[in-house]
Order: sequence, then C-alpha cells, then structure tokens
Amino acid sequence: MTETKTAMTQTLNRAEDILFKRYQALASDPARARAFESFKASGLPHRRMENWRWSDFKARLDTLFARSDSHTTAQADPFETLDGIICLRFKNGVLAELPDLPEGIDILQKRGGYAFANCEDIPLGALTAALVPATYLIEVTQSYAQPIKLVFEGEGAAAFARIDCVIRPDIELSLIETYRGGAKFNASLTSFNLNQGAKLSRYMIQPATQDQAHAITSEIHLDAQSRYEQTSLAFGGHLARIETRGTHHGPESEMLLKAAYLAGPGHHIDHTSHIRHGAPHCITRQRTKGAVLNKGTGVFQGKFHVPRVVGQKTDADMQHNALLLEEGAIVNAKPELEIYADDVACAHGNTCGALDEAALFYMRQRGIPDLQARAMLTEAFISEIFDTDGQAHSALATLREAAKAWLAQLSQ
Amino acid sequence: MLKLENLSIRVGEGETAKSILTGLSLDVPRGEVHAIMGPNGAGKSTLSYILTGKEGYEVDTGQALYEGEDLLALNPEQRAAKGLFLSFQYPIEIPGVPVMTFVRTAMNAQRKARGEEDISAPNFIKKAREIAAMLNISADMLKRPLNVGFSGGEKKRLEIFQMLMLEPKFIILDETDSGLDIDALKTVAAGINALRSPERGMLVITHYQRLLDYIVPDKVHILADGKIVKTGPARLAQDLEDKGYEGVLGLAS
Ligand SMILES: Nc1ncnc2c1ncn2[C@@H]1O[C@H](COP(=O)(O)OP(=O)(O)OP(=O)(O)O)[C@@H](O)[C@H]1O
Ligand SMILES: [Mg+2]
Repeated sequence: MTETKTAMTQTLNRAEDILFKRYQALASDPARARAFESFKASGLPHRRMENWRWSDFKARLDTLFARSDSHTTAQADPFETLDGIICLRFKNGVLAELPDLPEGIDILQKRGGYAFANCEDIPLGALTAALVPATYLIEVTQSYAQPIKLVFEGEGAAAFARIDCVIRPDIELSLIETYRGGAKFNASLTSFNLNQGAKLSRYMIQPATQDQAHAITSEIHLDAQSRYEQTSLAFGGHLARIETRGTHHGPESEMLLKAAYLAGPGHHIDHTSHIRHGAPHCITRQRTKGAVLNKGTGVFQGKFHVPRVVGQKTDADMQHNALLLEEGAIVNAKPELEIYADDVACAHGNTCGALDEAALFYMRQRGIPDLQARAMLTEAFISEIFDTDGQAHSALATLREAAKAWLAQLSQ
Repeated sequence: MLKLENLSIRVGEGETAKSILTGLSLDVPRGEVHAIMGPNGAGKSTLSYILTGKEGYEVDTGQALYEGEDLLALNPEQRAAKGLFLSFQYPIEIPGVPVMTFVRTAMNAQRKARGEEDISAPNFIKKAREIAAMLNISADMLKRPLNVGFSGGEKKRLEIFQMLMLEPKFIILDETDSGLDIDALKTVAAGINALRSPERGMLVITHYQRLLDYIVPDKVHILADGKIVKTGPARLAQDLEDKGYEGVLGLAS
C-alpha cells in the first residue's frame, strides 16, 4: 500500500480529478476528511493493487468519464410490483422523500460526513464515505414480515449513497434492493450491524448497464446467534463490483451469501468478499454461480479468514461455479481460505467450464433447438441460487424471472 | 423410409483418425421393424448417433435418406421434428429440469417446428398421466430432474415414456432392454409395440433374443466391423443366441 501511496499523489487521471474536485466543493468535516485522506492514499483502485487486478476502476472510470455518448439512464426496477412496509428511494444518495415510518423503524438523516472505520481496506467505500451528501442511520426495533424496499438511482457523472443500519436483538427483517444506476459511476456503501439473535435477509438486483460503473459495497457485523442472508442477481456494466465484507463478532452467528451473475457482451461483473470468522462456532455458506457470454467478464474473489484462537469450530464453505457460454467469455476466480485455527471445517470449490455437450445433444435429439437448450441448461444451473425449498417467495421468484428473461433473449 | 447407402464414418483427424462404419448399407421400409445385433464395439451406437445428428463424426462415403430427404444435412432438432427418435443406450442426466417441463418443452418445440399449435396444459397432463400409469412410472418421478439419480431401469422406462409422449415416426432403440427387470421388460415392450404401425419404422439395437420375443422384427441384421455382414429373418436372433457370432458368421469374420 505504501508504494501506491507515493505513486498516487503525483498523477491524477481525469476520473480522479473529477472526484477530487467533488470533494473540494463539499464542506469538509473530520469524518469526510479522514475518509478522503484514506482514499487519496491509493486513489482509484487499479490492476496493480491486490484484489483489484481484474477490476481496474482507475482505467475504466477514466474511459467512462471521457465518453460523451454514454446514455446514462436508470434501469427499470424488477421489484417494482412487490410491496414493502416502506420504500426508500435514493436519488444521488438523498432520500427523495421520507415516508411515514412504521413503529420500530427509525431513520435519521445525517448530513455531512459520518465515520467509516473500514476506510483502509475498502478504497471505494472510503471514497463513498467521503463524497456522500448524507448518511442514513436506520434503527430497527421491531420485526416485520414485509420487506423494506431500497431503490438507488443516480444521474450525472457520479452518485454516492450510504446507509448504516442497526438491527436490535432478536429482530427479523428483510430488504429488497434495486441498484438502478443512472450516473456514470454509481457507488453505494451499506453497513449492517446485527445485534444478538437478529436476522436479516437481503435480496438485491443490479440490472445490466453497459455504459455505467457500479461499486456496491456492504459491510456486515454479526453478533452472537445472529443470521445474515444475502441473495443477489447482477448483470454487470462497463465495470461493476459487488463487494461484501463480513465479520462474525459473536459465537454461533451465521452468514449465507448467494450470488448469481449473468454477463453479456461488454459487461463486467465482479463479486469480491472477505469474511472474518472472529468468534467460535460460526457458520458461513457462500454459493456464487455465473454465466458469461462472448466479450463478457466475470470475476470472483472470495476470502475466508479464520484466526487462530477466536476462529475455532468455524464451519465455512465457499463455492464458485461459472459457465463460459461462448468462446471469448472470460471468468477470473480466486477463492481463498486463510485458516489459522486447527479445529475447523472449511472447504471451497471452484469450477469454470462450458455447457455439457452430451446434455445438449440429448435435448436437441428430443427436438429442443440448440439455443433454447443452452438457455434451459443455464437457467437450471443458475436458478439453484434462487431456490426456495418449495416455498412461495416473491423476491426470489422475481430474481429467478429476471434471470430467465435475460436467458430467453439468448434463444431469440 | 430409412435408406443408408455405403455409409463410411470416421472419428478424429490424421494420426488419431479411426474408421467406425465402413460402407454400411441398410434399408428399413415404412411399417417394418428391423433388429440390429452385433458384438461390443461393432459400431451400433455410433450408427444411432450418426442418424440423429451428433457432432464429431466425419462422413467419408455414402448417404442417409429419410423419407427421401438427405438426413445428414439436417441438425438434430430438425431431425427430431421430422419424427426421428433415439432411445439412448445411456440416457443423459439433465440437472434442474423436471421431467414434465423437459418433455413439454420438447413436444412444443417439435410442434412449433412443424407449424403446429402448442399442446394445451390439461391435454399434456392427461396424456402424461396415462402413459406414466401404463409404464409404472410414479407421479413423483415425473417431478424430479430428468434422469438425475434415476436407476438404470428407471432411465430406460423414461426413454419409452418420452417416446410415447412424442409419438415419433422413426424410432431407434439402443439397448433399451439392458438394465430392465423382467416385469419392466414386458411393460416397455408393450409400450414399444403400441407404437408399431404401418406408418412407422423402427430400428431395434439389442444383444439378446429376449426383447425380440416381445417385439418380433421383420428382419435381423448383424453389424460387425462397421458394416452389415448378415441379414436374415427373426429366427437369426435365435441362431445367434444358440451359436454365438463365431458360429453364425463362420471363421471368415
Ligand atoms: N469418439 C470416438 N473416438 C474414438 N473411438 C470411438 C469414438 N466413438 C466410438 N468409438 C469406437 O468405435 C467403436 C464402436 O463404438 P459403439 O459405441 O458404436 O459400439 P457398439 O456397437 O454400440 O458397442 P456396445 O455393444 O458395447 O454398445 C468402439 O470401438 C468405440 O470405442
Ligand atoms: Mg452401443
């Protein structure tokens, strides 16, 4: 990091220049300043930095900002028809209107900077913390069966949004989230603190946005016996990264990360995660599945960190499976287990391959045209991520349908 | 209905090239059932793949005509839509696609290719129920992903289920009898016989006489070393059972 620090201050590229000017235009305060200093140390992350070699924000944002032809419109919201207890619509990081809040859900709009502890590890998180117009502090003290809806939308060169959410002991909540894009660079930073026994389920969708970049960063803190579940479907963009950083702070907490990605030509989608097992008897299950077309790129970087003393009895499993649907599709994967404790059950698996030719021939022999057979096999492969165990589940059904609609285009 | 003339097939290129069929000729007229028998590795399954359009084979000589049309010029799904069906020697598992979804998709794809309407959901379900009952296939099995975790015999019964659902015009059965228990062999044979008609042709690949006890063929061909070396009436199968290939073909083979 120190070496990039010195390299950085000398050369700002156009994208960094725009971001620097943004910062200078804002009223500074200590929290903002700290986050920005930390971002400034590395600048926009680039391919010579660890964890960023396959997603070069510095170079790619530069190209994107240089383009005048890119039409930056926000994408439709696939969750539109689903009901929530409340819907929070963020436009350039500002809540368009504060809805009437039901009992047990409090939202505080904190203008200006708000401390972000993880600055050094997450450069785009630091950038977001430095540039957001406001941070929304959400406290949940009552369980609801219906979800809270979050819709993120931006415009112009760059949009930054930030939420910091605390879920009180034994409270259960779900969120459905749409990352609609709309700005050239759309960044969000969400933090979730699950108190003892709390349960949170998130369902996220990032529609395809070829001319835009996304940095969707989440930070998760789990107290004892809490349970966090995240299911996402991402189609990528000019450059898109979904980064999840989780820490098991209390024993017997559980984390379930399920992600699907579908990348068409010109789309890049990166899933990066880092889970620290900082307490004994914690469970992490991570399942990521992707399918990529010619000129599309998928990236998976997963790390489980299990410290020597506190990580005992960790039970963690990481799986990434990708389908290269066409010649010219690219998938880069780096699953990592960093284990220092001796009494743990940790496993990981990673596969990248083409569709099974024998299965394709069998389907075609029965009369199913080649492209349709490919779409069916891919759907079957991906839809495991949206498995509902036979239960009705509208958010998962929406994700499944969105994946299906994308695949149906392939067989046209 | 199906006419193969001097068909020679090879796999691989250059050094690794291997001839599998070497001048095979065969004529199955409409309404007839022909059996093909032959030692392991003779090229029987390869023949079934060539006829249904699997990739990876080079045609060196000859042609295959199906109802007068050049079969080898069509892709697998076109052949299927024209009524060609293969019951696989080793049916493939299709994870994540339930049997009913699979068969309905196949049926409607074929209909679409022929310019016909989709089958209605109630009609499809009714037909599936009747055929499943006839073949002793449980409703539970039809909900499972196609062939995944099915026993060898269950997979074979499911091939016949698909055949009866799709009502093809020309049927190739590649060792459909292998893996079936005695009762299943009878029900499967009954299913096959149900489709026997003056409009259809069938090619039954088998190693044993027992299937041919139920499905009596009009002709029996012996395929060895990539070509038909002997053709005879139904009792040729019995001769083979009694004397073996060496006995029937003589030392010349
Ligand atoms: N792709 C291939 N590459 C190389 N050799 C092949 C290939 N496919 C088939 N063969 C060979 O061609 C020969 C014929 O195989 P085929 O499966 O058609 O035999 P078969 O008559 O069906 O045998 P069985 O009775 O055991 O089912 C075998 O020797 C086989 O190993
Ligand atoms: Mg065979």
